[in-house]
Amino acid sequence: MKATAMRAAVVTAAVYGYFLLFAQFAFVELLRGQVAGHDAETFEKTALGLMALMGIASGFWVAWKGASARKVQTGLLLGAAAAGIVPWVTGLPCLIVVAMITGVAVGLCTVSLATMLRSWCSLVHVGIGTGIGYACCNLPWVFSLPPSQQAGVATVFALLGAVCVPAKAGDSCEPKAREMPFSLAVLLFTALVWLDSAAFFIIQHAADLKQGTWGETLLWRNAVIHLLAALIAGVWLQRGPARLLPAIAWGLLAVAALAVNHDSSRMLGGLLYPIAVSLYSVALVAWPGWFSGAANPRDAAWKAAWVFAVAGWFGSANGIGMAQSLHRVPHEFIFISGVVVCGVMFFPSVKHWRSAAAVLLVGVVACWPRTHAANSSATATERGRQVYLSEGCIHCHSQFVRPATRDDEYWGPSRSNMVEARPVLIGNRRQGPDLSTLAVRRSAVWLKQHFINPQLFSPGSAMPSYASLFETERGDDLVAYLRQLGTADAPAIVAKASTWQPAESHAPSMMGKDLFNRQCALCHGADGTGNGVMAAKLGKVPANLVKGPFIWSPESADRELKIQRIIKFGIFGTDMPGHETLNDEQVMELAKFVLSLRS
Amino acid sequence: MHAPGTSPTGVETATRHALGWLVFGNSVGLFLAILLVEPQWQLGELSYGRWVPLHLNSQLYGWTALPLVAWLLQLYEVDSSRFRGWGPAAVWAWTAALGFACLLWLKGESSGKIFLDWRGGSLQAFVVALVILWAVLFASWWDRASEWSRMRVRVALAGLVVLAMVPLMMVMASSPKTYPPVDPTTGGPLGSSLMGSTLLVVVLMLMLPRTAGIKGRGAAISGTWWFFGFALVVFGLAEAKGGGHYDWWQIGAMLIELPWIGLIIYDWAGFEWPECARVWRKPVLFWWTLLSLTAVGMYFPGILDHIKFTQGLVAHSHLAMAAFTTSFCAMILSVITGRSVGSPRTVGGWNLAVFIMLMTLATMGWREGQNAEWMIVPTTWRQAGMFIRAVCGASMLAASASWLIKQRKNS
Repeated sequence: MKATAMRAAVVTAAVYGYFLLFAQFAFVELLRGQVAGHDAETFEKTALGLMALMGIASGFWVAWKGASARKVQTGLLLGAAAAGIVPWVTGLPCLIVVAMITGVAVGLCTVSLATMLRSWCSLVHVGIGTGIGYACCNLPWVFSLPPSQQAGVATVFALLGAVCVPAKAGDSCEPKAREMPFSLAVLLFTALVWLDSAAFFIIQHAADLKQGTWGETLLWRNAVIHLLAALIAGVWLQRGPARLLPAIAWGLLAVAALAVNHDSSRMLGGLLYPIAVSLYSVALVAWPGWFSGAANPRDAAWKAAWVFAVAGWFGSANGIGMAQSLHRVPHEFIFISGVVVCGVMFFPSVKHWRSAAAVLLVGVVACWPRTHAANSSATATERGRQVYLSEGCIHCHSQFVRPATRDDEYWGPSRSNMVEARPVLIGNRRQGPDLSTLAVRRSAVWLKQHFINPQLFSPGSAMPSYASLFETERGDDLVAYLRQLGTADAPAIVAKASTWQPAESHAPSMMGKDLFNRQCALCHGADGTGNGVMAAKLGKVPANLVKGPFIWSPESADRELKIQRIIKFGIFGTDMPGHETLNDEQVMELAKFVLSLRS
Repeated sequence: MHAPGTSPTGVETATRHALGWLVFGNSVGLFLAILLVEPQWQLGELSYGRWVPLHLNSQLYGWTALPLVAWLLQLYEVDSSRFRGWGPAAVWAWTAALGFACLLWLKGESSGKIFLDWRGGSLQAFVVALVILWAVLFASWWDRASEWSRMRVRVALAGLVVLAMVPLMMVMASSPKTYPPVDPTTGGPLGSSLMGSTLLVVVLMLMLPRTAGIKGRGAAISGTWWFFGFALVVFGLAEAKGGGHYDWWQIGAMLIELPWIGLIIYDWAGFEWPECARVWRKPVLFWWTLLSLTAVGMYFPGILDHIKFTQGLVAHSHLAMAAFTTSFCAMILSVITGRSVGSPRTVGGWNLAVFIMLMTLATMGWREGQNAEWMIVPTTWRQAGMFIRAVCGASMLAASASWLIKQRKNS
């Protein structure tokens, strides 16, 4: 009986492999390669529409006539024929015929297989088969082939599947308890397939997204992830609460769709996406046989036909159709599918109508469009303050200098009116410096560049990149707001800087070079000539420390003290920032090193 | 426990949602802890700062508030009234308000008030949820009053009058124009403010065994209530007088927290706690003692100055929320549902992870207070601390997830 189960797993892998590689991918590419001109889109839609129509029709035909191993075999052989001949097919009518045959093949084998699996193998085998199917499609030498050769590989998949179709039933597994009405399960899978199809289409057609998720170097990784995730899904369905699996898959898919939109988090998206897809794919193929509450194989076949027609064909066509001109996965797609998934998961019957009504009422109130008192005359500073609130800067930065503490030395002076502003923005945690007097200590150029790439300024900094703010005016508004923080304190800070001097150091540590490389080389260059990587972005070229500054000043303790003060407090009104958190010894060592650069 | 095929009761729904929000809040907390180690994992415009309100508010308005909602539903016997079908609806309205608020906070709709970040749509939705809950409680009171004693009817009505003011108080408290008294020289709250919130917790701790019908010998009751009255008077006087962080009357108000350590322990010892509550009783009292001692200790000059704005203060916040409040909320749920939240092993795992995290954060905070250079130059001790924090967060998430799964299985 183990042989029957393993054969069933191979057939599952073959069906998934064929569908993913040929029906969903290679055939569409071949279609596009043969059709050009303004009718191309219409023709493509017609061919794929007919494929879906034939798929749905043949699926329901299976349900009407009853599923059998022979029908799985016939479907796979038809599929092999369609994929085998398509590289030599020319002419639009012939391509349409191939599309229809492919639809019939997919409809026959998917509905039949989903019905028969329970009599052949366990859920774990379904997981193994699904995982192998996905993994094979992600193997670099399959994934990277031209479409005509992928069609050849799909032919091999289909033929292998046809050969392996078990002739007899195994130890028929008992169906599991129905965990939700079947109509809701169809809705749940439709939301999943819809979001997945839209996300897949968008990623596939945006070069940067594709490279970061299933680029050539990531294919082996994805293959392994698919295999493992599908295996876990099989085990989960065998032992755990089945209804949670599609919900978890949606959660992972949602995070992946969010993450894939951005350079910084694309890797995370690329990791989660194959996990999510494998999880729900196993559930999708297993649901009609095990979890739909089907009383007999005929009933299971009808349910399989419905779930594949609505969730499979309609869901994917709709998702792809709505994603045609998009280059990023819209948040609205995630929200809409999330509403459906949550609705199905939490309100599975009419007896929950009170709770559903309460949620609906609260939702309508929360999302009701409001006419914000749009203040068109708001200044950049006022808008920037709102950005400061929206981005939650308060959670990492304070605007409160405590008197008679080291705060005063770093970011002072302190003021007594810091709690008078509304809302109060004194903060409660510093992951980064206090911002009370930021305008005196950092230039607009410096702030912008730091927002875009904080790691460049402080390698290992906990501050994430806020480059996305500068895709609109919000970034500049935020800089404008920050550039007015503490301007009133400028005279006091300048006065402090002009009188400050470090305490005597007793133990020279020779750390000046290290400090220079860490703190100064970014702008002044590693050799101090002012050619650092940031130099070109600053308003004025940084000082060449080999030739100056203070080149005309005689060598004296006073000159060294001036340099120490500049290191500590920066130069007000220029891009030269202060280095407030360096201690006196570090400032002195750094000044010594700067002086040693002079030719 | 509800019978198979029937809907969960209001108390069960609130319990499930509370644990669900705990799992959610812990997930976001873990994500934030990871972001502090690997900031490049930030999800584009969904920045670290936008996620923080989700973590804070899901813990406060989800995990902390919903056990109190469950307690209210039980006190007003909603699940025994003709309106029992509306108990779960009130809880769902609460969860929906918080859920939609989370989406709005992620969208950047923030007022800038930590823990009171309700504005616009989120505030209105939350007010609607509060009104629905109040209406359900009122309907149940109306329905059940005929079976209660006259005293109970009156006390419950007084409770409804107080609760009716909550929506308005939320609107006022959430306004960016209001802010609690803060000492401008330290940035910290005054002793009287801290004492006020402590007294509120004390009331809840005294009420729990009495309203849950737990048998007890009633030892020290009169002494406890006399001291409560005295503390209330001191609170009123210190609050009215105001002043600065280090004025003697504010320090005195703070010191009045200390006797409550022993009074609560003594008071609770007089009750025969059910088996389901025992796994949480010792953690509640341990964290209560540590929280009170550290709160008073940190108020004194030199200590607050050293840890203000550092991980030390984060440690104290987690001592309040992850340690004490979590233990107390779990105990409330255990007592009112008659089923323990978590097993001894997972409860032990949670408390151990919290303890390690607190020690790590406190050590980091003390170190941060010595020199701010770590902000510019990443130090090994800080990275190691953040890593330990994330591991503890993962352990806490696993423990809380197991509680939710156990609750679902039991119901």
